[in-house]
Amino acid sequence: MLRDTLKTLLSAYGPSGNEHAVAEAVKGLIAAHVDSMRVDALGNLIVEKFGTDEHGKRIMFSAHMDHIGYVVTNIEENGFLRVNNVGGISLNLSTARHVIFENGVEGVLYCEPAKGEEKAMRHLFIDIGAESKEDAEQVVQLGDMAVYAPDYIELGDHRVASPAMDDRCCCALLCELLMYLDEPRNTVVGVFSSQEEVGVRGAKVAAYSVNPDIGVGLDVTAWGDTPEVKLPAVELGKGAAVKFIDRSMIASPAVRDALLKAAEDAGVPAQREVLPFGGQDGSAIQHTRAGVPAGCLSIPCRYVHSPVETIDMRDMEGALKILLKFVENA
Amino acid sequence: MRTEDFLREAAALPGLSGNEQAVARYIADAFRPFCDEVRIDSLNSVIAHIEGRGPKVMICAHLDEIGLMVSRIEEDGALRMRNVGGVDPRILPGMRVTVHGKETLPGVIGAKAPHLLTEAERKKNYDRDDLFIDLGMSADHVKELVQVGDLVQLEGGFTKLLNGRCAGKTMDDRSCVAIMLRAAEALQRMDTRADLYFVASCQEEVGGYGAMTAGYGVAPDFGIVLDVTHARTPGAPALEVCDLDSPAAAMGPYIHPLLRKKLVEVAKEINVKLQDEVMPRDTSTDTDDLNAVRGGVPCILLELPVKYMHTSVELLDMHALTECARLLAAYLAAIEDSWRDELWI
Amino acid sequence: MDLKTLCGIHAPSGDEKRLRRAILEEARKLCGEENVRIDRMGNVLCHKKGTEVGRPHVCVSAHMDEVGFIILSATDDGLLQFRPIGSIDPRVVVSKRVLVGEDLLPGVIGALAIHLQTREDRERVLGYDNLYIDIGAKDKDEALGKCPPGTYAYFDTPYTPFGDGFVCAKALDDRVGCYNLLQLMQSGYPGDVTFCFVTQEEVGLRGSIGAAFTVRPDVCINLEGTAANDLGDVERRDEVCCAGQGVAVSFMDRSSVYQRKLFKKLLALADAGDIPHQVKRGVTGSNDAANYQRAAGGALACTLSVPCRYIHSGASVCCLDDIDAQYRLTRAFLLNA
Repeated sequence: MLRDTLKTLLSAYGPSGNEHAVAEAVKGLIAAHVDSMRVDALGNLIVEKFGTDEHGKRIMFSAHMDHIGYVVTNIEENGFLRVNNVGGISLNLSTARHVIFENGVEGVLYCEPAKGEEKAMRHLFIDIGAESKEDAEQVVQLGDMAVYAPDYIELGDHRVASPAMDDRCCCALLCELLMYLDEPRNTVVGVFSSQEEVGVRGAKVAAYSVNPDIGVGLDVTAWGDTPEVKLPAVELGKGAAVKFIDRSMIASPAVRDALLKAAEDAGVPAQREVLPFGGQDGSAIQHTRAGVPAGCLSIPCRYVHSPVETIDMRDMEGALKILLKFVENA
Repeated sequence: MRTEDFLREAAALPGLSGNEQAVARYIADAFRPFCDEVRIDSLNSVIAHIEGRGPKVMICAHLDEIGLMVSRIEEDGALRMRNVGGVDPRILPGMRVTVHGKETLPGVIGAKAPHLLTEAERKKNYDRDDLFIDLGMSADHVKELVQVGDLVQLEGGFTKLLNGRCAGKTMDDRSCVAIMLRAAEALQRMDTRADLYFVASCQEEVGGYGAMTAGYGVAPDFGIVLDVTHARTPGAPALEVCDLDSPAAAMGPYIHPLLRKKLVEVAKEINVKLQDEVMPRDTSTDTDDLNAVRGGVPCILLELPVKYMHTSVELLDMHALTECARLLAAYLAAIEDSWRDELWI
Repeated sequence: MDLKTLCGIHAPSGDEKRLRRAILEEARKLCGEENVRIDRMGNVLCHKKGTEVGRPHVCVSAHMDEVGFIILSATDDGLLQFRPIGSIDPRVVVSKRVLVGEDLLPGVIGALAIHLQTREDRERVLGYDNLYIDIGAKDKDEALGKCPPGTYAYFDTPYTPFGDGFVCAKALDDRVGCYNLLQLMQSGYPGDVTFCFVTQEEVGLRGSIGAAFTVRPDVCINLEGTAANDLGDVERRDEVCCAGQGVAVSFMDRSSVYQRKLFKKLLALADAGDIPHQVKRGVTGSNDAANYQRAAGGALACTLSVPCRYIHSGASVCCLDDIDAQYRLTRAFLLNA
């Protein structure tokens, strides 16, 4: 079930550059359903489901495993950890947070009182209960990363809030796609990518080595349906969003239109997404080698890059149907 | 075809970054009479090949243009938009546009009237979010014909001015495509060694992706990029602008010194006035991307000065354009096999 | 070739030919004529074929280029107008000596005498629009005749050992890396190894884009000079790294998150070999490792840096023992890869 798959993936630890636990969780879910699996030097998990038609296309889907976090840059004499951001962390959301390290060490993130200075990452610290530097160094090293502690909140019948929803919801979607695909004509390459949040780095490398004919990024997009937020014109529960443009990519018209058509053929709603900012793995596919037609299917997500990233499961279910039809039509 | 006619027609065709199909087809057709093979690649770059046995050279000018995209339709039928490429929001109020919806629709960009603005509001420029496109239709009619994601092209037009000067939309960079075309035509009557790929690249205005991908496909020994640069206008920083009346050649770390030296020599030989433009870092053109393809592509950047860049009245000097084309053709004809070995000596 | 010689050769980004020539000659001696070549970005690539199969292909890289200046034009009274090549804070160039062009014409960067400054002048940072190189030319024609637009200019700073094993010089970033790369050529790694001397790091990590795609190593160790911020009562959290405390090993910076297993392996090797080292604190700066990590199908990468104070000025300072530590740790890695 989509919801169970999602729940499993949401609980895995995986800030940018340290995604192996997510990769392991994904492997556990899909090993029986794919023909090959490998992890590359960047930590991308690349799986293939071979097509039945030897002249079929290679379709690459990419959903990123990593999420934003905090990296330890200094351990102070009194045991507090100084940190810097990993990816697009909001300073305003960086106070009074429950965070966790890979080895399970828990901490609380707080901010020192402002002394007339503009608030910056250097004012943040994590308290792990250590009383001295030596104490802290027993369990945490420089370069270790903390993330918002996993959480899973059901809101009403359809909605779920969690940190790491960006982009584990699409990892779940991709897992389910690979599970449901039954002897596809075209080869489907699923890339669970690393380091998207620090600049679409994993997918760049994966796109090169996969060398696909068509690419689709799978990611969350922003929302336009809460008080005083209007752009993008995308709402939760109105269907997955077919991307037209964001800051990283203008969707290739052929792929964009094929996604819209797949939604129509599958009889599920789809929204049209024009995003004034943001980027995602589809761009890395489009710009690799001699150029690959690429687009992106987005899951509308409220409060992106916060500990309460919220999606609607109906959009997820619709997206799965769109992707299945898209592979069939290609 | 006369250059002026090419410019007039090419500038009228839609070719917003990422959606350049129409202008790409037109440009491909224009190159066909002079080339051994012309194709449009998977991202809409036009690649026109003139076979030769010498070094493989990619000549590149971008075919895409800046514009807008519908991002939201308001209850009353007003369209909100985001930019595609670097559109200056100051040129938008009062601009006539074409919305490519289910039909091709004329529109005008509106804003709150000055009488209704506060003193403070009047002192600053409109924000893009304050602006909207008015299609002169009922909200229902708008929603029937227009969807989020539809493309919006800025006002077209091509105007001849005094002294061989012209102004129009998309002279950036279709004027440089015209230069490539003239050079390709001239090469019919010249001997060349080099294996030439003329590339009208897509997606330059959003990041050089066309040059990057077409460059990967072509895998050239050298690159020659053509783009527009700023000509002198009142208030422009004196060290960063050129004269309108002649082409310029960039220099700096991103430009290959030997290939540039050869360009200067050819210009001197055929008596083309060539200006210097020093770029201490990146060039903000396809050069930056083509240069970084595969194991690297040594590049030069040849520039045509225009005034009022990224407006719908980009102004150029026809004489500078034809001189630039004459120089390009002569340079391509001068390329020798030995250049490949001399690069870093 | 010693560090003094390397620092004395002028090679700002895009104008590396003198240093390229010197390194080419040296590398041919150390690596064998047939194993050394110049690629399309002007990088010098030295490939040594391994004797054992199954070892990873290791690339060790350092950048040849340094920060400098380029001439744009001249004023009517013969002062050269210029811009920096690479990022140089304009506040560090006032009242410095430079050499201009192929012929190394001496010049100075002057400023309005303090007596003539208004209160506002004293507070205002002189930007590059208000700084000039004076070569003594009488007018614009003479100035541009000798130094046409596009001419490069260089910091003119003597190489000066001082203090307790420290050195003050220009271009320590990244001649320390070039120096160690040459030393490492005889390290005897049994697998394939490529030593890359790359161009144009300071103007956007350009040369290594091409080198990385051509070489495609399994592992890259990037040798750098990095900014130390350790003197003058700096708060610990702002230190980044300290000169004299060993080679700095990076876990992350603006351009890369380094693979954790390689980072930990390097720390373990440093511990085991008693090599002075420190973890680079802070995530500032970007460097060529990014391109090696992410060219083509990707590679493991790490950066080992010599802490340099006043980096990107005409007078940078580093500790000679840290340079040795960078060499020893890289060598230890090659012997254990």
